[in-house]
Amino acid sequence: MRIVVDRDRCTGLGMCEAEAPDLFEVQDDGTLKVLNDCPGAGDREAAESAVMACPTEALSLVED
Amino acid sequence: MRAPSRGDVPSANREASVTIDTGFVPATSKFKPDYSPIDVSSKAFWNKTSEERDERFARLRAEDPVSWQRPVEDAVAPDPHDPGYWALVKHADIVKVSRDAKTFISGQGVMFDLLAPMFLEMSQSFLAMDAPRHDHLRRLISSAFTPRRIQRIDEQIQVAAREVVDSFAGAPSGEIEFVSQCAELLPVRLFCDMFGVPGELREQTAKAAADIVSWADPEALAGRSPAEIQLGACEVLHGIAARIIAERRKNPADDLFTNLVQAEVDGERLTNAEIGSFFVLLSVAGTDTTKHTSSLTVKAMTDFPDQRTWLREDYDTRIRTAAEEFVRYASPVMNFRRTAVGEVELGGKKIIPGDKVVLFYPSGNRDSDVFADPDRFDLSRDPNPHLGFGGGGAHFCLGNQLAKGALRALFRELLTRIPDFEAGTPDLLGTNFMRGVKRLPFRFTPER
Repeated sequence: MRIVVDRDRCTGLGMCEAEAPDLFEVQDDGTLKVLNDCPGAGDREAAESAVMACPTEALSLVED
Repeated sequence: MRAPSRGDVPSANREASVTIDTGFVPATSKFKPDYSPIDVSSKAFWNKTSEERDERFARLRAEDPVSWQRPVEDAVAPDPHDPGYWALVKHADIVKVSRDAKTFISGQGVMFDLLAPMFLEMSQSFLAMDAPRHDHLRRLISSAFTPRRIQRIDEQIQVAAREVVDSFAGAPSGEIEFVSQCAELLPVRLFCDMFGVPGELREQTAKAAADIVSWADPEALAGRSPAEIQLGACEVLHGIAARIIAERRKNPADDLFTNLVQAEVDGERLTNAEIGSFFVLLSVAGTDTTKHTSSLTVKAMTDFPDQRTWLREDYDTRIRTAAEEFVRYASPVMNFRRTAVGEVELGGKKIIPGDKVVLFYPSGNRDSDVFADPDRFDLSRDPNPHLGFGGGGAHFCLGNQLAKGALRALFRELLTRIPDFEAGTPDLLGTNFMRGVKRLPFRFTPER
């Protein structure tokens, strides 16, 4: 599982960060940093919540 | 009244070049049905109570979910060429339009009422812009509002809430006017702390921000015209901004004004007029909304005592879910507009370029396709995909985490220290924009 960020859509609001603080962090310049873009099975639920929570639909999960 | 000098104001051309490739897209009355018999444009409609308005929106959702409406009655700056607008009242349609910024733009204005062009110039900032300039401006301050950052100032928010409640909880009369003596104080303090508005300018800032949304309230107008009250308030806020800008250029500080004076956007520094407009936007968005939400929430807790009891039983676990319902139930911002620049079908109606669409958030928040028993204040509602912060997309409320943090902190104080409070009948703001409360009687057993 890989986290993909559509940088054109992401506005750095950080709703993902609230859902999955171990996976996402908005930087001081407002850009999103993915802390772990290939999370393990234990983080799947948090990653899915983050994808759902994004109001700009900038996040997706890709199965490799 | 001083107008900003022309050189300070971003020219229409410059904005257009970064927002819409095709230039201004005019409205047309072509291909439109008759105006809907279920009207939401008249002054009489907006003078009704929230409950009566909710009933009419419920009728629209059931009978005419994408309705063509006559232009808003009694506009501040009427446009004789305005043919009307599409009223979007279903949750799904509001979400769809909010998230499709390629078809539905903000750069041709986002207010439902037609307001004075000079007022819009001085107050809308990135709210009425599209990508990429919207994103560039918003990003100057957005990192201060992320969940992690708000979590970091959680203690500061709680201290502020405690001090607000300290100021009245022991009052022997056990009675206050809730809006001015409680609801307004916390968001104003948090906003001013973040922006770096000094103490002596805070009261003026709060008053001007409240004036801006009071343009349709006869009492607030006190004989002035709507444009007069709005432009007057903008002048005050631009004046405050100019003073702080000058100060921060000399002495940078750890606040958002410093971010703005130091920022370069698209290779250029922001002008004083641009920073002033930014400040006007955020002062209204950051203070007025939370004020009305907490006022409407103490009223809801009075009307639904079982919900208050439920929350008090396990506040720390339940408040995060409950705060979402505070916002859904209050729905303080009643509408924003978009303009179509492409052709799209919604609810069987053909929307064409130039058409205005107005998103009625409180209606989406009462849509029974999404919310079971939508008129019930249900603090355990989960999931709660309400539209209180917008329907998603690039304009989703930047301050949502701060607003929820403030509500959590304030209600923690109220429900532990004066838990038997009773709110009386709210005196509502006359407006077609904000579900606002002017005054609210509030009684409680004083703290010893």
